[in-house]
Amino acid sequence: MLDLFDRISESTSAIRERWNETPKAGIILGTGLGPLVERIEVDVAIDYGEIPFFLKSTALSHRGRLVCGKLNGLPVIVMEGRHHMYEGYPLKDITLPVRVMKSMGADLLVVSNACGGMNPLYKCGDIMLIDDHINLLGDNPLIGINDDRLGPRFPDMSQPYTFDLIDRALKIAREKDIVAHRGVFVAVAGPNLETRAEYRFLRTIGADVVGMSTVPEVIVAVHCGMRVVGFSVITDMCFPDALEPADPHKIVAIANAAEPKLTELVMGVLKGEQ
Amino acid sequence: MIAEISSRADKAAQWLSDRWQARPRFGIILGTGSGLLADEIQTDAAFDYGEIPGFPVSTALGHKGRLVCGNLAGQPVVAMQGRFHLYEGYDVDLATLPVHVMHRIGVKTLFISNAAGGVSPRFGCGEIMLIRSFVDFMYRSTPSLAGKVSNSRPISRSDSALDASLIELALEIGRSEGMALQQGTYASLLGPNYETRAEYRFLRRIGADVVGMSTVPEIAVAAALGMRVLGLSIVTNVAKPDVLESTSGEEVIDSAKIAAPNLKRLVEKMIETISRLR
Repeated sequence: MLDLFDRISESTSAIRERWNETPKAGIILGTGLGPLVERIEVDVAIDYGEIPFFLKSTALSHRGRLVCGKLNGLPVIVMEGRHHMYEGYPLKDITLPVRVMKSMGADLLVVSNACGGMNPLYKCGDIMLIDDHINLLGDNPLIGINDDRLGPRFPDMSQPYTFDLIDRALKIAREKDIVAHRGVFVAVAGPNLETRAEYRFLRTIGADVVGMSTVPEVIVAVHCGMRVVGFSVITDMCFPDALEPADPHKIVAIANAAEPKLTELVMGVLKGEQ
Repeated sequence: MIAEISSRADKAAQWLSDRWQARPRFGIILGTGSGLLADEIQTDAAFDYGEIPGFPVSTALGHKGRLVCGNLAGQPVVAMQGRFHLYEGYDVDLATLPVHVMHRIGVKTLFISNAAGGVSPRFGCGEIMLIRSFVDFMYRSTPSLAGKVSNSRPISRSDSALDASLIELALEIGRSEGMALQQGTYASLLGPNYETRAEYRFLRRIGADVVGMSTVPEIAVAAALGMRVLGLSIVTNVAKPDVLESTSGEEVIDSAKIAAPNLKRLVEKMIETISRLR
């Protein structure tokens, strides 16, 4: 039952054989945000298939490799492509890479995603710093016997996203004239997009944006004591009274267009870590 | 699977009956930090869950994990000291197996207590809330109940599982004993992490008064088996999403201890009164 610990060690050693730096941060790139990798001085890129216990990626516009290298001189480990609950994977497997990042030495997790905007003050292509989240996945990656070596049985969630890092990112956004908000992300399992009634429900319960990822990784990061900063790129607007059918390719295009802004913010936040 | 749960419950019930001959009409599930009530039971026998055939083993903080058989207020009772949570990885059928066992050895009235986070700003730490209704956010089904509800009795609202006359009796006792009791809605989440501020705000908005990680599966199973159920939440920490505070397991246990004497008195008095009325 406590084999997770051994799996983490095994994955970590497999990566260590190819890359022996201590990453300052782990980065997870969501839909359409892959180009950030081009800014990295790559030491080694490892296909998920070559790392024990890592899942292969099946989602749209996601590659499946772990890029190890330097961003602005800072050692980082980047997941190019992530896994989602709607692909049918257990959350424990989906979140294993976060534990491996921690085990490699990273104490900061940078997560990004493409999401639907429900707050009417937001616009397509805007970036939102995740202030907090609501977990409506109907599942939790920490279910099962707790291994106290990895983290506490009942992790506190009063501040899953580190306020200092949010403030740092917002400050950079102001300096660089990038539109960035601060709001609440709600995670649903998907894979269908929401109905109009569901958007109304999610908005009513206090969410600003909705997506199908990120929350499992953040719960695990908090469990293992990492600081977290989360970026949501708003790739379509979800106003229930004027809802247009979602076009996945358009979503990817908008995410790609927003990517330079996201890169700017991520680089800025990491610069503060040096 | 359903047959398996049934035969596991049979086996456990038989094993218990072989070791403790009383036929308890009352069952108690003791939540986090409320072991005081168990101490009050004049114990005939206590069995670690590990030694009862078919029982899962409990792993949660503050839970001893044993079945206490004895007398409370002069009546035979069976009490679970420590329970099985879904966040430990059990499915609903396994987590509620002890309820099936209690039913088999004669329990007609079940008291289910828990430690829950206060969502309603009206509540204070260490207060007891009688569960009037619940909102289930556990997203899990109970295969052992499939078919049971619709065939043997008319389909009812799920919160009718909570016996209104037991709540009235509790309130009467509360008044005569000078004990402040709250009433409200329990929201069940899977856990194991505590809620985020956004989640507390969400729960408050949809009408939840407390939030916890247990109880609802037990209520559903007990009611489907025809038991009378009273749900009791000890408010262990009142969530103030607008004031940033963290929550720890130890803290929850500490505030549960404040409520323990009241919980003990209430359950004792209720058992006394119900037995007298019969």
